[in-house]
Amino acid sequence: MKPGTRLKSQADDTEVMVIRTGGGTIECGGAPMAEAKPAELLPLAADFSAGTLMGKRYVDADGAYELLCVKPGKGSLSVDGIALVTKDAKPLPASD
Amino acid sequence: MNPPGDYALAIPLARWANRRLQLLAAETGSARLSELHGTTLVGERGANNGYRINGRVSAGLGGSRLMPTRDGGWFALTLIRPEDRELLPALFGDADLAIHDNDAIAAAALRHNCAELVARGRDLGLPVASADEVPVNPPVEILVRGPMRRRARGQRLLVIDMSAIWAGPLAGHLFWLAGAQVVKVESLTRPDLIRRDDPATFDLINQGKANVVVDFASDPQKAALVALIRRADVVIESSRPRALKQLGIDAEALVREVPGLVWLSVTGHGASGEAANWTGIGNDCAVAGGLARALEDASGEIGYVGDAIADPLTGITAALEGWRALQSGEAQRVGLSMSAIVAQALAQERAHDAAALESELQGWAAANGKLFPKFARRTLLAPVHAIGSDNARYLPC
Repeated sequence: MKPGTRLKSQADDTEVMVIRTGGGTIECGGAPMAEAKPAELLPLAADFSAGTLMGKRYVDADGAYELLCVKPGKGSLSVDGIALVTKDAKPLPASD
Repeated sequence: MNPPGDYALAIPLARWANRRLQLLAAETGSARLSELHGTTLVGERGANNGYRINGRVSAGLGGSRLMPTRDGGWFALTLIRPEDRELLPALFGDADLAIHDNDAIAAAALRHNCAELVARGRDLGLPVASADEVPVNPPVEILVRGPMRRRARGQRLLVIDMSAIWAGPLAGHLFWLAGAQVVKVESLTRPDLIRRDDPATFDLINQGKANVVVDFASDPQKAALVALIRRADVVIESSRPRALKQLGIDAEALVREVPGLVWLSVTGHGASGEAANWTGIGNDCAVAGGLARALEDASGEIGYVGDAIADPLTGITAALEGWRALQSGEAQRVGLSMSAIVAQALAQERAHDAAALESELQGWAAANGKLFPKFARRTLLAPVHAIGSDNARYLPC
């Protein structure tokens, strides 16, 4: 999958932009994400329902995966069943 | 009236800045403001730091670059945070892009159409622009109105300045020059880095302001900040809407509740609709406002005009609009769009004196490689408060 690909959750409203990917399965709300929106939403897995925040970057422990949330939702992000965590944004160093 | 200095080279749109500043001086009756010149505000950062005019690379840090695209467009990209470079593979759809190589980035831009890069860059939260875009929001927009407050004449205004970098703090500075009590609010984890990176400019535009630092992880401190805002006349902020909400500050609810509260939201491209989530900083916003294309139309060469010129033009506009909103007495949230303010300044300056503007743009293009116009440095009128030095007074908790 190319970086810049936009993925949509099949279980909630979340959409992400792929910044970096290692080739595993990217999921939201416990279900694999896809480029198309589903006709009908799948049920949200209870373990992956903490929600996504607009504009936050989500990473795995090894830094192999990074996703940017471009539309928030009720699901939470994971890769092959392992939850991703937010990466905190840095302030702007100077005006330019 | 001009500040003392070298006027062989005029900064285009500085005259517009001066006209607006003099309106503010007249309406506030402030002697200090009437002694100040718009050219000073537009040019002092470049002059004090010895910036050079640098064509398609922004002056100073050189963080913003104009690059041609496949369809003949010009794409402006500002890269000043290292972690923004990590987004470039996604911007260009190329996992192997050499993200620290500006030539490789320019080569990648040439493989895409401008509008596509701008749209994806904005989704990614990057400060990007097209030289040919038309700002989507108006320069100044009243987003919400609230109850009236009648103020006694001569009552000292309380301004809470939560903004960072240049435009918002400049607006706070102009209120301070006009006699207001201004409290600069900084985040413990995300302070205004201009203090560290450009102390000369920081001191000029933040002198005399009280300073408080807030730990946004602390509920009592957040509550104390909201209590401070509730007794303020003006709030200035330059955060994206979700950032404020995540900090527990609901601008529109406060404007609906607090009589006469004027809330100035300083943004790259406006505070309403999808554009509220876009980032934008001084140089790319000037490109989005059509200034780089205007330079090319006048001179044949595209490039940046001035130094992050959208910032000072917006700071002056925010102070003027904020002052006028206060006079109405009605609480309101006012969205200011840096890109649209540049577009407005350009259109108004053209209507005011098209020939002078054209000749200034040609002069600017011809001065490529030269130093910014120099003029006498402003002297500080008051001390610069250290970060957090006024917490006990303004944020008791």
